[in-house]
Order: sequence, then structure tokens, then C-alpha cells
Amino acid sequence: MSERWYDWIKREEDPARVSELPEALDDLVVLDVSQGHYGAFLTGTYLAELGAEVIKVEPPGGDPMRGWGPADATANGTGLAFVAEARNKYCVTLNLDKKAGRSLLKGLAARADVLIEGFEPGYLDRLGLSYRHLAKANPRLIYVACSAYGQFGPDAPGRPREYDLTDQALSGLLHVTGDPDGPPIRVGSWISAYAQAAWACMAVLAAVHWRETSRQGQMIDVSGAEALMRYLEYTVLLYHATGQVRGRTGLYELAVFPYTFVRVKDGYAFIAGYTDPNFQAICRIMGRPELAKDPRFNTTLQRTKPENEVLLRDEIEKWSMDFSSDEILGKVLADPGPGIIVFGPMNPPTKVLTEAHWWERGCFRRVEDPMYGTLLLQMPAWRMTRTPPRLKWACRPLGYHNAHVYAKYFGFGPGRLAELKTQGVL
Amino acid sequence: MTDSYFKWAAQLFDAARIHEKPEALHGIRVLDLSVIIFGPATADFLGELGAEVIKVEMPGQGDVTRILGSASFFWKNVSVAFFGMNHSKYHVGIDMHKPDGQVLIRKLAARSDIVIENFKAGTLEEKFGIGYRQLREVNPRLIYVANTGFGQWGPFARGRASYDGLAQAVSGLTAITGTPGGHPTKIGNYLGDWYGACMSALGALAALRWRDRTGEGQFVEMAQCEGLLRAMDWTWLYAGLTKRDRPKTGNRDPVFSPSGVFRCKDGFIALVAGTDAEYRGLCRMLGKPGLARDGRKGAEHLDELIQAWCEKRTRSEIERIARRHHVPAAPVMTGKDHYESRHLRARRSVWEHDDPVYGTMVEYGPAPKLSATPARIKWAGKPVGFHNEFVLKKILGLSDEEIRALEAGGVIGKWADRMGAKPPDGWNGEGLLQ
Repeated sequence: MSERWYDWIKREEDPARVSELPEALDDLVVLDVSQGHYGAFLTGTYLAELGAEVIKVEPPGGDPMRGWGPADATANGTGLAFVAEARNKYCVTLNLDKKAGRSLLKGLAARADVLIEGFEPGYLDRLGLSYRHLAKANPRLIYVACSAYGQFGPDAPGRPREYDLTDQALSGLLHVTGDPDGPPIRVGSWISAYAQAAWACMAVLAAVHWRETSRQGQMIDVSGAEALMRYLEYTVLLYHATGQVRGRTGLYELAVFPYTFVRVKDGYAFIAGYTDPNFQAICRIMGRPELAKDPRFNTTLQRTKPENEVLLRDEIEKWSMDFSSDEILGKVLADPGPGIIVFGPMNPPTKVLTEAHWWERGCFRRVEDPMYGTLLLQMPAWRMTRTPPRLKWACRPLGYHNAHVYAKYFGFGPGRLAELKTQGVL
Repeated sequence: MTDSYFKWAAQLFDAARIHEKPEALHGIRVLDLSVIIFGPATADFLGELGAEVIKVEMPGQGDVTRILGSASFFWKNVSVAFFGMNHSKYHVGIDMHKPDGQVLIRKLAARSDIVIENFKAGTLEEKFGIGYRQLREVNPRLIYVANTGFGQWGPFARGRASYDGLAQAVSGLTAITGTPGGHPTKIGNYLGDWYGACMSALGALAALRWRDRTGEGQFVEMAQCEGLLRAMDWTWLYAGLTKRDRPKTGNRDPVFSPSGVFRCKDGFIALVAGTDAEYRGLCRMLGKPGLARDGRKGAEHLDELIQAWCEKRTRSEIERIARRHHVPAAPVMTGKDHYESRHLRARRSVWEHDDPVYGTMVEYGPAPKLSATPARIKWAGKPVGFHNEFVLKKILGLSDEEIRALEAGGVIGKWADRMGAKPPDGWNGEGLLQ
């Protein structure tokens, strides 16, 4: 190869040329009719980042999510949780409590590729808007329903609304996070909603692929609790195979060690090197090569004995507390090998934002939004050389795209729109 | 009406019929050159949806996850940690360090739709001659998925390795998780790997959509740290507006209050009252309906009251009472709870199957349920090189002589007589394909 990989791929993925390239999903029309459901909302967000036309359908009073966010900061009055993930969407109002509203939704669903909802299971069915109703007019429709317990199974009926915290509990993630002698600990972000969205989008795109040959749509049922549960690795198999109930291990690990946080001069840092060559490398940069031969630590099986993990972590801290995380990282990068040491500081968000790496790679962008002010947003996570995902606009007010969308799909002009508005349909 | 909905949905998704239905990714072949979790799980998720996954491992020892874990993890000569990201795959032992091994990879890539790897950036191209630019020469339609910690380029991409725990630390997720003070909370699972794999598989399918439309392949990359950065909701907006870090709030959801995780007689329960109606329900449930009269003012001071109320009850009692009052409450479930849940079994989220090598397996099943093309598990992970003959004959059309020669040269191989790589003791050869 005439050009080095590093230089070639950096040029191919240059964030500055994203807008010159096509979008993977720009032929898909997606309706998000969910209200107050972050996982369903994010499903629309990811598809919109990848190019789909996502129409967010809200009741005339707005999605309650527009108010979600921390109490001490908003973007011109709108909740930060909403603004953070409202990107690229077309915002329209539609009143599903009115017959005319339901009939407009049917009209939209007849032309859509994907519909996303997050209501209590059975709610849209009572309105005549569930998959079995909508698929009659549009057999190619892919219908995604998000809920905590799913649309079927003995526990599906009559369950409460889905929240991230209750999903984290059901998934088993809470049970394995935290110290053994303390309570379970919640992951700080709404991670179950992100997991639910990733699964939902994956299923949607698999269904879109299958539809190419079958000409058939289908229904997709995604539980936020199960979305996270699938990430729980061996938890249920361990119980089946050995009768052990996986618990909380705090800073320690059942499977690999060292793989932990340690104190450093300027806070905490993560360090790992659990295979023999990698552990030997850690001992080398610590200036303690003899530790790698210590019978308590010289094999992976020895190192993962619970009592040895505690001893080993103490040994590492005796050394790490004399150095800053930058100093240790310097030693890690200077080590000639063999073996790989994984090391990095525990950074608070404001520190992450000072690091050039993320900015250079386009992970963040400061957007001057005409309505919501200066916004610092996380950017799409994927890099794609041919169809890169992108941010087009950050957020739009309630009903902002009514004229555009209702003209595009129904040919409604200002007169008809005003009429529908007066009737409480929009 | 709602009854009829649940009856209809139960039929639509009837788990007993999963294997009668077609698969969404039938005919898509995935070449999995990756190890540990992030890469193998990406391939696994595509496999659950119907792709044929060929997992390439070093002859002899295979993927390191086969031997991960303390002694208590070993079951039938392999670590239980190996199975969760290695379902229904074809296992091939090929030494990619050898030129003839690289030839085999190129041949397999020529007949594949998606390649997945998680080596350090540039390794496959510079060391093995089987990177994206080389493989697209033999297959211009190829979708090449590369998973890393920090990405293929950028200041941190040079020489820095990553694991899930590191991604949690450097992304800022650790800093917003847990209670203020004390040591950091390491999230109990390998969240950055699994979530990253989910996103990576999603990226691959977006690329497949583009290929279905145009015939063009492409390079897709997913960095573990960036996956977690992306999944931190309003953290960055908040930092941008206030120049501060969002505070750690322990188990209270900072947006919905009251909320938390409370100790009860037989474990813990999570509880959220995010709307006024739920708050009124909570006050009624606690026997203090009067509290709701002042609106939600002071709602954050209810924790002690809720804790005292929960302590006297079991998880299922609380769940039942909470449901009556429309208060979202959910038990903190354990692996045992999952195992015993009729609901999760009916949904095949807990999936029991009978494997020819490992016998009865109980694992987590596919997360999304697709009515027409349900995702599924077909068999469990297998010993190293278990499907060598099948793959090399069926896909590459090699003869027995060629296969023996490759074996003799150490280019291909099966399991060595070592933990993790080999079959269970007493295995009678069932399941092998010649």
C-alpha cells in the first residue's frame, strides 16, 4: 500500500467531509408516535442519524419528554434530555384521541417504512392503531413496540410504565454492580434506553433487509430490561451450570484480574493486564518483575482467587499512588513489550471535554441553534467511509414541521392546517 | 379488547414456532476474526438474526475467553464466560500469522458479506496483509467492521489499548455513576463491550442496507469509548451549558424523583414515581395520601419513608401492591431469578437448548423479538476448529489432501489438549461434520 493505513483511514473518515457523502437510510420513512419513552425516542434518533426521515408525532400539548432533564439547567426552557437526542427529526403534532387524528396517523403509516411506539402494551390496539390494524393497509410496515415486559408472555399485561431504573433492576445489571457489602448501584446514564434503541434499530434494519426479498413487514417487540439483560454475559448460565448466583464484586472481578480501579496521585485510574504476558508487563513498569513469579499471582487462576485479587490490588496501589495518571500513562506508552497494559484515568465529563482526541475525531460538536442557543452535543458513534451518519439540526419546537409534513403527505395547505388546529386534531 | 390483543400477540410471537420461520439475515455470511467480547458479540448478534458466522481462532488454544475466570467458572472443560458471544458459529482454527493462513482468510473474505475484527488499528493490514484495503480487492462488496477502544486514528489511537473498564473510565461514565465520595463504581458487566457490539452490528446493518441499494461495500468502525460517550444522555449538554459535571446521584434518577433502590426482606427493589399520578399512587401506597396534597414538593425527602416501608415486605409483595397503585416498581433480579422466570422463558429471553456437545444449556436469548423472522440460538459455542472440515470443504471446496497438508503445516488446526479449547470429557464425537 502506497499510503499508510493510519493516514488513509483518517482522510476517508474526515469529519469535515461527511456532508459530501450519501446517507445509508435516506430512503426510509420512520414514524415515532411514542410519548415519554426514551428508548423509543432514541430508536428514532439513531435511524435519523443514519439518514432516515424520522417524523416525531406528538400530542398537541407536546411530548412530556420536552420537560425531562436536570432541574438546574435547560436549553431555553426545554429539558436537556429531550434536546440532547431530538436531532434531525421532523416534529409534528397529531391528536390520537380524535378520530380525525387517528385517521391521519393511518394515512402516514400507510406510507411509512417503520413505526415506533412505546405505549403500555395494548393501548394503541384499543385505538385501532396497532400492528394488526396498520399492516392491513401497509403489509410492508415494520412496527416496533418498546416496553419493559414486552408484548407477550405471562407478565406482559397490566405492568407499569418503563423507566431506566426499573429496567436496570429487571435486567440483573443492578444486582451485579456495586460493592459486595453495599447496595446495588445504578449506571449513571439511561443506559437501558440506549440498549433498547440499539437492539430496536438492529432488528429494524434486519427486517428492512428481509423485506427486500419477502416484500413483507413485521412486528418487533423490544424490552428495555431484556435489552440490557442480553449484556449480562454468563450470569444465567453460571447458575444453570454450577448453581452459583453471580453477585456484586465491586473493584474485583470474577473472570479477570488485574482489571480494576486504583488510586493514583491525582485521583483514580483504571488498569488491566490479566493474561500472563500482560500481567508481566504491569510488573515490569512497576519495577517489580518478581511479582509476576510470586506463586499467588503467577497464573490467571491464581490471580482471580478472591483473596489474591485484594492482595494484588494493594500491591499495585503501593506503586500507583506515587504517580499521576499522566506519569503512569507515559510509562505504559514507553514500555517496549512484550505484553499490553491497558491504563487510563477516570475522567469527569468536563475533563473528557478538554482532550483533543475526541474533538479531532468529531465526537462532540458545538452547535449554534437558532432556537435553543449554543449546544454542546455528542455526535453519532459510527464511522462509515461511504455513508457516514451525521447531525443536521439539533432540535425543533413542537409542531415546527406541521406545514412541511402535512403538505408532503396529504397536500394540506395553510387553510386546512388552521382548520385541523381549531378542531384540536393538530 | 386488550385481552384479545395479548392473545393475538402471544400467537404472533409464539416461541414454539421460532424454528419454523425464516431468518432475516439468511444468506449473509460473516467472517469473525475477533477475540474476547466486543468483536465476537458483534458477530454473534448478526448470527442471532440469521447470518452464517465463521469464527476464526488460533489453532490449539483459541479465543482467550475460553479460559477466562476463576476455577469456579469452568464447566465441561471451558469457562462459562465463553458462550454468551459465541452462539451458532462455525469454528475454524486458522493461524493468521502464516502466509498460507492469510491466503485462506482472503479466500473466505472473498465469499463473505461482512468481516469483523477487533485488532489494534492497522494490525491486520500491516502485519497480516488482510486489512480492509487488501480484502476489498478480492471482494468490492465487502462490509468491513473494525472495533477498537479509541478508533482507527486520532491522538489516543496510537499505541493505546482498551478494555471495557477503561472505556467506562475515560468516557466519563464512571464519573457519573454511583454515590459521591468513596472509590469509583466499576459497572458489573462489560457494558462497553456489549453496548459497543450492539452499535457495531447496527452500523454493519446500515452498511448492508446501503449495499442492498447500491451494491457498494464500505468500512465501518466502532470505538468502545465513543459508544459509551454517545450513551450518556444529557451529560455533555449539561457540561456545555453550566461548565460543571453533572453530579453523582447514587440510585436516585436525577430526572425522576422520588426514585431509588430500596432494601426489602428478600433483596432489593427499584421504584420510580416519575409522573404526578405515579407520585399520588406512591403516597397512597405508603399510607400517606395527604403528602400528595402539596404536589411533588419535597418528594426527594421521601426516601427514608419508602425505605422503612419496603424493609417490612418482600420484593413480590411490594411489586403487587405497587401495581395496584400504578407505581413503577421492579425487583432487582439475580441470575437465579432470571433462570426461574416463567415470563422470560416464554419469551425465550432465557433460552434453554440441547447442545450435541454440551448437553442442556440455559443462556440469555436474543433481545429483540421479530414476529416474522425471529432471532434464535441454534447451538452453543464449540471447541477450537470444530468445523474445520465443514467450512474448508463446503465454502472453499478444499480436498481432504489439501486439508491434511494445511494441518501438517500448522496452518489450520483444532483444539489442543487444554482447558477451554477441548471438548468435554467423555464427549463421543457427536455433532462433528466431516
